Amino acid sequence: MKKDHLHILLADDDEDDRNLFIDALNELKINTKIEVVKDGQELLDFFDKPDVNLPQILFLDLNMPCKTGIECLTEIKKDERLKNLSIAIYSTSASEKDIEETFVRGANVYIKKPNNFDSLKKVLSEVVTLNWQYHTSGLNRDNFLLSL
Amino acid sequence: MQINIRSILTSTIFLKSIFVASLFILIFISSVTYKNTLALTSSSESLVKSHETNRVLEQIISYLKDAETGQRGFLMTNDSIFLEPSIGSREKIEANLDILKKLITNTLPQQRNLKSLVLLIEIKYDNFDKLATIYHNKTSNQYEFSKLMLNDKSMMDTIRDKINKMIELENTYLNKEKSELSNNISITPILTLLLFMFPLAVFVISYILINKNLLNLKNANKELIINSESMKHAQQIGEFSTSQWDIDTHEINYSDNFFKLLGYKPQSFKPTMKTFLNFVHPDDRHIILKTVRQVLDNKKATLIYFRIIHADGSIRYFKSIGKMLVDSQNKQTLIAVMSDITSENQKNIDLENKNKELEQSNIELANFNHFASHDLQEPMRKIQIFISRIEDKEKSNLSDFGVEYFEKIKVATQRMRALIDDLLLFSGTTKGEKIFENTNLNELIETAQQELSEIISEKNAKIVSDDLPSLEVISTQIQQLFLNLIGNSLKYNKISVSPVVKIKYEKIIAKDEPRLKIDTDQIFHKISFEDNGLGFDQQYSEKIFALFHRLHNSSEYSGTGIGLAICKKIVENHNGYIFADGQIDIGATFTVYLPDNTETILLAQINLPSNM
Repeated sequence: MKKDHLHILLADDDEDDRNLFIDALNELKINTKIEVVKDGQELLDFFDKPDVNLPQILFLDLNMPCKTGIECLTEIKKDERLKNLSIAIYSTSASEKDIEETFVRGANVYIKKPNNFDSLKKVLSEVVTLNWQYHTSGLNRDNFLLSL
Repeated sequence: MQINIRSILTSTIFLKSIFVASLFILIFISSVTYKNTLALTSSSESLVKSHETNRVLEQIISYLKDAETGQRGFLMTNDSIFLEPSIGSREKIEANLDILKKLITNTLPQQRNLKSLVLLIEIKYDNFDKLATIYHNKTSNQYEFSKLMLNDKSMMDTIRDKINKMIELENTYLNKEKSELSNNISITPILTLLLFMFPLAVFVISYILINKNLLNLKNANKELIINSESMKHAQQIGEFSTSQWDIDTHEINYSDNFFKLLGYKPQSFKPTMKTFLNFVHPDDRHIILKTVRQVLDNKKATLIYFRIIHADGSIRYFKSIGKMLVDSQNKQTLIAVMSDITSENQKNIDLENKNKELEQSNIELANFNHFASHDLQEPMRKIQIFISRIEDKEKSNLSDFGVEYFEKIKVATQRMRALIDDLLLFSGTTKGEKIFENTNLNELIETAQQELSEIISEKNAKIVSDDLPSLEVISTQIQQLFLNLIGNSLKYNKISVSPVVKIKYEKIIAKDEPRLKIDTDQIFHKISFEDNGLGFDQQYSEKIFALFHRLHNSSEYSGTGIGLAICKKIVENHNGYIFADGQIDIGATFTVYLPDNTETILLAQINLPSNM
């Protein structure tokens, strides 16, 4: 595994969305390694594997069976090993309630799933090239929701 | 009624005192009159006696004279025929003297006089005898005879004198008695008159007073009858009843409706505490017993709820309040008002059920919102993203026909998406948090303009606004309102003319604005949005605010028919009013009235609209 690979983990229960996500990332021609989990429980199990290779960015869907995105977010933030993990919320909903709650629980950025493939590519490109250092230290509520 | 009773009471006391006083006065007058009459009687008796005395005295002298004359005649003629009148005169005089004795029993001087008179008359008759003896014997000389005659004459004079004196004395008595009598007679009629007049006056006054009292009593009685009749009806209509329980005699009284509420005919059984407890639901009997004890102990009114088993077997819900009345004679009466609240109770239960249903439907509504925001949006978004995928990769492979229909699919999905978004916005406006805060409306106009910047520059639109005030509003909602109204004006513009939106502001008083139909001095902030767009037919000025109502064809203009419904909802949330005026091809004006009153806003917070 090359060191300059960007290691991305996607947690989404929707197969179409996972495929679109992978397609978009592949089209971006960025050197990335993508892993996917299909629900919240699988996500938490992923981190509990003994030989786990921790990703740099987690794209987290909120509306998932078994364990919701919010629950996962809460557990991840409790885990000392995962404190450097950047978390991008990736949800259909853009309700004030969800945005507020995920911000308070320590997510780094909020992405509303776009309804256009070009927009998806654009938003993903923006996220992976984001200056995470700035974004994680600032914790700025105003640019938390990534608008295009 | 109370005043009447008090006046009756006071007049009763007055009447009583009048009767006591007049009784005393009457006794006094009667005794005086009685005494007076007694005096009168004795006076007249004395008068009669005096007259009789005088007459008898005259008679005596007359008999004496007769006797003397007869004797003289006999002496002179020696014819005994002259003696005839004097025969028996002595007896007659004796009889008269006896009468006199009886007549003058109470006057001492006359008695003394009488004694001397009797003596004198005796001497006189002695003289007669002597004269007769001398004359018959013919023995005595002329001298002795003359001397005896002389003596007899003087004796007669003395008797006459004596009798005259007695008559005189009797006359003085008579006069004295007469004057006394006349005095008495003059007082007596006045007293007698008084004796009649005074009771008459008392009777008249009493009659008037009693009559007045009777009238008052009659009125009081009438009121009492009316009140008791009203009470009866009130009890029937209000489904309540009253009862009184005399604590000392243990006598219990129920009102007619008490029996009816229990399901019996009025006064059909004799109420006791035990019979009442039999009507109470067994589980609630302890409530009654406990409360009665409490009321007996602390005399305070206590409200209780309990169940009654009605005569028809059904269970009725009752509430009752009992109170102890202690009157001035320390007599204790427990009065209780009991009310059948079964229907009220049933209504409450129904209301509770309705509330539960409403809560359930609200939860379902929230679930629907969640469904709409996520599950409905999810496939929509996917369709759109797949469309964009095909557009990118496969558009060149499609025929013209395919491209045309593909474009139609794209527009339809966009519209579907817009509908879902607006619907969510509308339900958010209905259900969302309503926090009133002081907000500068100019800033909200500014934000709305920023959000619309794309269409503004595209259509080369101009927005002119008066200076707006700062108001206590739900700022997110008012911003949405401004966004929708300005957005509307920009959307429905005439193709050849660049849109101009004029925002005007004015502070007005409700009664000066007839369309508000409020006749008060309440202050409103009037904000109007005037455009030079397509306008609309004035007949649609109300329909335009209805949900899903559209005036324009969806292929020409991309409205969802929700925007103005949201505007109306927002204005209503602020207790305000919104009106639309339009003229086809000239423009439309939307006028918003927001109340100035903080009180009204507080009211709006309390009466959150619950209908969606």
